[in-house]
Amino acid sequence: MTQHRIRFTLNGAAVDLTVPAERLLVDLLRDDLGKTGTKDGCSVGVCGLCTVQVDGAPMSACLLLATQIDGAAIRTVEGLASPLQEAFISEGGFQCGICTSGQLMAADALLRVKPKATDAEIRDWQMGNLCRCTGYYGIERAIFKARDER
Amino acid sequence: MTGPTILDRPERRLDGDEKTTGAAKYTADLEVPGALQAAFVRSPYPHARIVSVDTARARSLAGVRAVLTGADVRGQRLGRRLQDWPVLCWDRVLFVGDRVAAVAADTREIADDAVRLISVEYEELSPLLDMDEALRPDAPVLHPDGASYRFLEGRGERPAVPHPNHQGHVLETHGDVDAAFARAARTFEHEFATPRIHQAALEPRAAVVWVEGDRVRVVSTNKAPFNLRDQMAATLGLSKDRIVVDNGTIGGDFGGKGLSTDEFVLYHLAKATGRPVRVVTRYADELTTTNPRHASRIRLRTGVDADGRIVAHESHALFDGGAYAAGKPTARLLVEGGVETLEGYRVPAARHEAATVYTNQVPGGHMRAPGQPQNVFASESHLDLIARELGITPLELRRRNVARPGDPTTTGEPWHGPDLAALLDRAALDIDADRPRPGGRGIGFALGVRHVGRGSTTISLRLGRDGTIEARTGVGDQGGGQHTLIQRIVAATLGVDPVTVRVRRLSTEGPQDPGIGGSRVTPVHGGAALAAAQALKEKLGGRSVAEAAKALGTGEEIVVSAKFDATASDHGACAHAIEVAVDVDTGAVRVLAAVVAVDVGQVINPVGLRGQLEGGFVYGLGMALFEDLALEDGRVRAANLGDYKLPTIADVPPLRIVHLSDGHGVGPYGARSAGELVNPGVPAAVANAVQDACGSRVHTLPITAERVWNALPAPTRRPSGPVRS
Ligand code: FES
Ligand code: FES
Repeated sequence: MTQHRIRFTLNGAAVDLTVPAERLLVDLLRDDLGKTGTKDGCSVGVCGLCTVQVDGAPMSACLLLATQIDGAAIRTVEGLASPLQEAFISEGGFQCGICTSGQLMAADALLRVKPKATDAEIRDWQMGNLCRCTGYYGIERAIFKARDER
Repeated sequence: MTGPTILDRPERRLDGDEKTTGAAKYTADLEVPGALQAAFVRSPYPHARIVSVDTARARSLAGVRAVLTGADVRGQRLGRRLQDWPVLCWDRVLFVGDRVAAVAADTREIADDAVRLISVEYEELSPLLDMDEALRPDAPVLHPDGASYRFLEGRGERPAVPHPNHQGHVLETHGDVDAAFARAARTFEHEFATPRIHQAALEPRAAVVWVEGDRVRVVSTNKAPFNLRDQMAATLGLSKDRIVVDNGTIGGDFGGKGLSTDEFVLYHLAKATGRPVRVVTRYADELTTTNPRHASRIRLRTGVDADGRIVAHESHALFDGGAYAAGKPTARLLVEGGVETLEGYRVPAARHEAATVYTNQVPGGHMRAPGQPQNVFASESHLDLIARELGITPLELRRRNVARPGDPTTTGEPWHGPDLAALLDRAALDIDADRPRPGGRGIGFALGVRHVGRGSTTISLRLGRDGTIEARTGVGDQGGGQHTLIQRIVAATLGVDPVTVRVRRLSTEGPQDPGIGGSRVTPVHGGAALAAAQALKEKLGGRSVAEAAKALGTGEEIVVSAKFDATASDHGACAHAIEVAVDVDTGAVRVLAAVVAVDVGQVINPVGLRGQLEGGFVYGLGMALFEDLALEDGRVRAANLGDYKLPTIADVPPLRIVHLSDGHGVGPYGARSAGELVNPGVPAAVANAVQDACGSRVHTLPITAERVWNALPAPTRRPSGPVRS
């Protein structure tokens, strides 16, 4: 199996390492780098649990090869500092919390480029992030609140 | 009783920081040095005899540390009550996904490769894929040795069943049912069906097991660690005190995580290798091999008098239990919430027959209000059909029949609990039931009644010199907010700021705990928290917490412990009103608005409670409109989560929750349980609204556009629609 050297930043810090060609980003983050805030749910790109930001865009880490992020800036929930987090707590944006990292990374990516995103745009954007616990109402309230208080 | 005003303080969940920063450690996140990865060989057939298993090639693969087959664990069966599920199959496989061999290897990839190198020769047997077929007098018996299976607790005896392919069976009667039917002015009979659906907690099961001296250590996503410990002890022939079960943070449960099946073989692999062995279930395996909600077929018959008042009722409910009954923790091996149809109504005479049936399908288990969503879909749809036949509105029929205090209910017990008529009226008011609606729009109602759980647990409190209190409990927090519930009750009772109260979860080395489930946390754990706080208050003898803390010397603390037994019987209740629009050209249903009027007594965790009610509503909506874990020839068709449609944020309608309470809940400060209250009624309310909108009656869930279109009354149906039935 071929090994590839990749260089990228993870939450602002430079990373330089060698990975096998088929290493998935989600495994690189969780198993090799110990960043377990990013979760693995469906493993096929439909649940959004593994959402991380790649150069600011939300992406499913279970669908990306580690080699594909060479040169990119990666942000995970461990590098997040956003009013969204407190809003998720006060508005009931999580219960079990397994989807929360992904929800936060997706919502943060939107609000960074569109601080005044409409309710409908927010709903549309979060469609790729499943939550089995909250029924989404608390997630909506939390994102709306973080947007409104900006 | 109204709670102290401190319960009105805003709630800030104890797990908020760790869950919004990624710091919370779920079982799959735990670092376990030296851990091996396990993988399983699974049956591709729904029913087959194992002729031979060849593991030689797998064993010689570099990085493989152990390979086990059924022959190595012959005779060992697991289960929550009836232990009928082989740890690894040794003679026959009974469903697609049944395990026949296990591997422990250095990496997951090697374990998977090894699994592919194991060849199993099967002799296919004809499968029983249908409940009626399974109950024929001459049907092959799926568990011929059933009489020898271990039955946990009690006298260790399993209730007798009329057919060997029954898992559980019950016939309950109250009143003279036949005489009451004979007096009825009119009698109605309808049949309903619901598919298997999956709990779909987004965190897949995970576990790690290792042997440390004479201790077996287990970290598991199981939501009732003491029960898993007891099950492992029974299956593996170990004494309970040798096994210690702990949890990580649990990423959702919804009932499914009461059953664990991997930990047993992980123990054998750990013993064989001397290393920790872990497994994180792939989501595809979650969907196809773990214990979904039972598919059901329910036939109801009800007699009414000339005024439309129910005089007699009977039900026949069949639940497809699949290959094993292991997922059911109940003594009768039924999904108990499915037995008593027409709950919440005055039913002077009733007969209920319910059974769970062995088939060669994926084994059924418990899921949020087990049995109840099937039952309520049938019962509340049946009521609407009766109302329409009688020419009165569904709301009026409910008003005439809803149970008032002291009325005989369908179980024969007199009703006591929330004011059901008031809940219905409020839901009707808030959905604006009297407003005329344009064609294609309609409203539907359903009632939801759920018992408040019982049981016992112990919670201890330690007051330290710094004035903070640590509460210790054996219950985990799967997302329901139970630790915050304990915190707030302790704080309220002692009159301290909630932030000064921490909650620590203990493993099975701590005091016995029943775990999460059965709508039990608020009354049982909440009750224990209240008892412990009262005990501490008493011990302080009039001093405030702060004064008592100041008087403590270095290293000193005040410790109290309270065991609490919740025995009182009570119900939570809710009334649903749902408005839909149906496109009669396609049958597509859109839910426009929903109201849930609830009585859950005193509110303790406003944020957590709201989440349970809202989340419960959408959980029910998924069952109503989308979810169907369909099987074909015994194989679950959904190969991954993309094939099993869960509600997304785009699917949820505006929802209004209205609280009404008589304030008489039996839980702490008058609280009632909430987690399993809302989801059961949603499918019927949607089905009833659909009929109101377009005349189409759907008897089978989910309510797909195709089913709605096919059931449209002839004049409405346009020939351009789909033609498949
Ligand atoms: S785990 Fe990546 S989208 Fe589900
Ligand atoms: S909080 Fe549990 S899945 Fe979203």
